[in-house]
Amino acid sequence: MTHGKSRDPDICCVRTPHPSLVAAWLTVPALRGRPLILGGLAHERASVTTASAEARAQGVVEGMSLNQAQQFAPDATFQPVDEEATARVRQSLLLTLHHFTPDVAAGEDPGCAFLRLDRLALRWPERSQLLAAISRAIDAAIRVRPAIGVASSMFVSAVAAAHATTTGPLIVEQEKTRAFLARYPIDVLPLDDDLREYLELLGIKTIDRLQAISRPAFRRQFGQKALQVYDLALGEDRRRLRPFRPAVRIEESEPLEPPVDNTQALQFIARALAERVSASLLSQGLGTRAIRITLDQESAPALKIEARFAYPMTTPGELFDGIRPRLLRASIVAPLERITLRAGRLEAAYVRQPGLLIRRDGFKESIADAVARLQEEYGSSLVQRAEVRIDAAPLPDHRILWKPA
Amino acid sequence: MPDRLQQAITVLQTRFGSAAPRPAAPPCPARPTGISELDALTGIGGWPVGRLSLLAGPRGSGKRTLAQRSIAAASQEGPVAYVDIPGRLDPEFLSRFDARLDHLLVVRPKSIKEAMASVRVLARAGVDLIAIDLPRTRSSGLDAELPNLLHRAAEAECTLLLIHDADAEDAIRYYASLILSFQRSAWIFRRDGDLEGLQVDAAVVKNRLAPPGQTARWIIPYPIA
Repeated sequence: MTHGKSRDPDICCVRTPHPSLVAAWLTVPALRGRPLILGGLAHERASVTTASAEARAQGVVEGMSLNQAQQFAPDATFQPVDEEATARVRQSLLLTLHHFTPDVAAGEDPGCAFLRLDRLALRWPERSQLLAAISRAIDAAIRVRPAIGVASSMFVSAVAAAHATTTGPLIVEQEKTRAFLARYPIDVLPLDDDLREYLELLGIKTIDRLQAISRPAFRRQFGQKALQVYDLALGEDRRRLRPFRPAVRIEESEPLEPPVDNTQALQFIARALAERVSASLLSQGLGTRAIRITLDQESAPALKIEARFAYPMTTPGELFDGIRPRLLRASIVAPLERITLRAGRLEAAYVRQPGLLIRRDGFKESIADAVARLQEEYGSSLVQRAEVRIDAAPLPDHRILWKPA
Repeated sequence: MPDRLQQAITVLQTRFGSAAPRPAAPPCPARPTGISELDALTGIGGWPVGRLSLLAGPRGSGKRTLAQRSIAAASQEGPVAYVDIPGRLDPEFLSRFDARLDHLLVVRPKSIKEAMASVRVLARAGVDLIAIDLPRTRSSGLDAELPNLLHRAAEAECTLLLIHDADAEDAIRYYASLILSFQRSAWIFRRDGDLEGLQVDAAVVKNRLAPPGQTARWIIPYPIA
């Protein structure tokens, strides 16, 4: 495949072992190379979430009960899934790929991620160097060498990655896509049970047999919906990458040494933090609709306060105007040791361009948001809803049920 | 507008663009009040949208009943709010007019400032009709809040109704596009002497959208529903 001249985008699929396994290996490196089964402890009534290659070699498969898995692999290590560590591994994989290109998407399979390579020709004229760099970067980030497949569509690249080894990428030329897929069983296609059964009854067990059927004949036999599977079998996958966007966390914190117990000083520091948060927002073209303030007290639980805004705020003045009344009203019972401001509900700041892009002044707050903001500022009893209770006592106060909106 | 005049205006608009003649005041959309006589009285078919209407008159003249009927009618179509500063709203009474109480937000502020802030926020958020029930006492700070409030209401196409027992302040009279003055002209008794209803006279004291000075009379029967 000629680099950068192909009309179709070059899609690279990066496949690593299940992130739960990677997380377990990162926590206890000694588990590498040994049968490892995740999903719970051996005696628990649960099923296998994932298993290492060594455990699979002994017959363990995903979804199997843990008791059954223990019978297949009696010497395996059983562990529950560490959800937080798994999420960190997955995030780390995507962030690593995001350093190469913004065209990164998470795959449905947890250990899978996709990249578009066709826009990287100037930065990486040599495809092989790029793929080697990706492999090295992932190894550095999560200590696992990925299997890499490159093809003209997501489906074909995923199949290629599933059959590639960690020693080198499997690259499928666009004109050889059909021939590449032909050798695989139909199980690589996303078949529902009925369609799989029909195909097997007809003796169609490999993709080449499926490719031999004409498209009209396939549609007549299996219906319009099944044509998607047929197209995949020919290597035609029209799905587009849904770009992954790394989470943005904008937080500024300042220890108060010695602890502060007057609001003037607190406001002064809050103002300085608001300026720092504003600078971070400005540099990324973002606005915030909620500032979360955490006040760590010396000998009392931390206070958490939220200042909400009707539309995305960016400038220090706007942020501080929202924070200041909350700080003044906060019931502080002990000297403060630390103040933290975190920008939440981030949105693009451009929506405030008055009248240019959006009608009115560029914001439309939902009624629920507006009510929540009013209640937060003036108390929950300000905006109420009334409900008439027909079956209640005849006293007016009993017949009307008032509740915060 | 005659067809020939409209054609001439179209030709001028084509030739001169923004310099072409245009209506001095574009027609103001109206929100039905829920009472046909009142719709006719306003001259535009209901409460003007995006503007302030004042319902003035002494206690017991029927203005709050009419405002609540309007709220009930508007609640059938979308979100509405009632800013109840004196604490007089009776939701059960509203429900007799088939009001959708799930569309009604009742704001019970402690001060005029809170009330105005609530109206501004709710108008911007898309509430269609907001009735503001003012206390009898002079509402300090209202005159300063009104310009901002009206700007928001116009922007959000929200209809504002102000209900006031006493003589309205000059600022309210100035900013209101429509002022209806209510008077109880008579009690209606049955032959057996029981009170049967209330005769109400309404007059358009000010109208920026149609000729003022019109009057109407109708009876509010008891029990009210």
